[in-house]
Amino acid sequence: MSQRPGITLGETRSGFVGRLRTTLARRTEGRALALFFVVATVTWIMEPIVFTSYQVTLGRIALIGLVALGLTAVILMGELDLAVASTLAVAGVVMASIDNLALGIIAALLTGLLIGVVNAFFVVVVGINSFIATLGMLFFLRGAAFVISGEEPVRLANIDAGIAFGKPFIGDLTPRVLLFIVAFIAIQLFVTRVRVGREFYAVGGNREAAYDAGIPVRRRIFTGFMISGFVAALAGVINTLERTAADPTAGSTVLLASFAAAIIGGILLTGGRGSVFGTLLGATSLGILQVALTLSGVQVDVQNIIIGLVLLLAVISDPTTLRVVLGNARAFIQGRSEIQPEG
Amino acid sequence: MAGKPPSAVDTRAQVDSDLGIEKREFRLLEWMADRGIFVFTTALVLVAALFIDGFASLANITDVFNRAAPIGIVAVGMTFVVISANYLDLSVVAQVATAAVVLIAVSNASSIPAAMALAFLIALAYGLVNGVAVGVFKANAVIVTLSTTFIGLGILRWLTGGSIYFGPPEGPIRSFGTTKIGPFPLSMIVLVLITIALSLVLTRTNFGFLVKSYGSNREATRLAGVNTAWVVVGAFILSALGAMLGGFVLAAFSNTAVSAMSTGFDFRALAAIIVGGTSVFGGKGSVMRTLLGVVFVSVLTNIMVLSGLGFGYQQMAIGALIVAAVSVDSLARKAAVT
Repeated sequence: MSQRPGITLGETRSGFVGRLRTTLARRTEGRALALFFVVATVTWIMEPIVFTSYQVTLGRIALIGLVALGLTAVILMGELDLAVASTLAVAGVVMASIDNLALGIIAALLTGLLIGVVNAFFVVVVGINSFIATLGMLFFLRGAAFVISGEEPVRLANIDAGIAFGKPFIGDLTPRVLLFIVAFIAIQLFVTRVRVGREFYAVGGNREAAYDAGIPVRRRIFTGFMISGFVAALAGVINTLERTAADPTAGSTVLLASFAAAIIGGILLTGGRGSVFGTLLGATSLGILQVALTLSGVQVDVQNIIIGLVLLLAVISDPTTLRVVLGNARAFIQGRSEIQPEG
Repeated sequence: MAGKPPSAVDTRAQVDSDLGIEKREFRLLEWMADRGIFVFTTALVLVAALFIDGFASLANITDVFNRAAPIGIVAVGMTFVVISANYLDLSVVAQVATAAVVLIAVSNASSIPAAMALAFLIALAYGLVNGVAVGVFKANAVIVTLSTTFIGLGILRWLTGGSIYFGPPEGPIRSFGTTKIGPFPLSMIVLVLITIALSLVLTRTNFGFLVKSYGSNREATRLAGVNTAWVVVGAFILSALGAMLGGFVLAAFSNTAVSAMSTGFDFRALAAIIVGGTSVFGGKGSVMRTLLGVVFVSVLTNIMVLSGLGFGYQQMAIGALIVAAVSVDSLARKAAVT
């Protein structure tokens, strides 16, 4: 494999600075890093308590980030899983409806996997766009959560387990934060070190080419949706344990925050580009922002406005398409047809 | 050709295959995607009239119409977004609630024309923000409208504090909401008029043609010299205006307005559009069919309410309906290709 004359991957530059620039140009976390620094600096000056009581902040980051990590796996392949919010609610309700705690957790996680399989079935076998398929599932599962729970929050039978779950486990870290760290490391290793995970990038980058290269595209998409379903169900289990009850309406703000985290993290919605680390940065920034706003006494409604604005800005400010977009904007204002190819 | 003369049927088959014309067989999926809605709606109404107690009463039918009208007005406007292959406009939930609250609250404080003018400006703003983000910045419509939903509802709840606004017991809004012509409430007539108007826009105007063209092949439309960004912005503005009128009608029906009153409008409208036969793959659809879809979805919801099935079951049914209708459309397309 050493003899590959004439093949260079990307731009080659000489010298350390050149190599650094090439590396930086390949990274996708720029916006997340910028947002992180702005949010962290402003918070440091205005509300330093966000950092001194870091357990609260870490808990919030884990809440936002866990679902976003699962989403990352799906979005890398250019698909989307809008059903995660409802999966979270359904998994929580399923878990609380079963009296035995261990059985309940297993049933909830299996529910998440099953939902992933159903989503992937509609996307891969039936051939529906994943936006619409998972949107239908979002509504269906939200209804299912209401039906299973009888339209009321379900109390967890084993309340002691829930209380123990909220306490620090190792050092200052609660089990929720530890599970989030484990999930982050697992998914990070999966998409960067494991062959199946690395192929997610290929599937998202160019599906035809991936198929021609012998990658089982359909199976990879099934895997991706199962990951996101499983992780969303895990988030539902954690929520239910912490609150000692399952709420069928849970997860509506999770949808917004987790998408915001993944998209700010630099992941391209059409697939093939982005990193799990970026999602972590995005989730961290949003977590700090939310805790800071809450501590400053800002209402939930205003927090939703701010996070909605961040998501809107993130989704329209993709650096690779920005040049094309500026051309489009000029054409739009001048009333001409767009001249540049679409991103 | 000597010997046995071919029969007439054989000749036609021979000619067809010579010319390369494929014989079109009856395909169930294609038929369901194309014409199924007529049969299903009729069947649903007949079954409901025969087996559900209380369905075929005048009071119930008026109630169905009253509830169908706001969703229908939202759906016919949103049809343009779906035809332009931009999935849907989730932010109608925020738009309908905003228009309703503005109509009641501002008309209480000053006058109805002022309220309508303000609501119109807000609708234009929604259409422009959604349309520019999707059309100019090429962002994904689902994500854009998801974020504008949260922004819009956040602003509305922040300003109103979640309180309920009551209209005056006498006045134009109240009388609009209660006037009936036979079993038809005035709102239903507004829905039919808007449907006819938007149907003419879609089938008879340059803009309507461009929406369809953009939906079926955006690259070709762009290369033809069309300013495609304006097409998308126009589609989102029509959707926003539909949502505004839907909000007016909803507020007039109950003579009250609250920020949470439009829950479920997004997927009910989408279900009506898709069940009506407008394709989420873009380029194909009609406003008249959406009206039929609205009837289907409203009758289905009414049957479930009369049968005592709660919100959860209704949401499950409509979610399943969306997935099923899109599946039929997708499978029919696949079958047509092979």
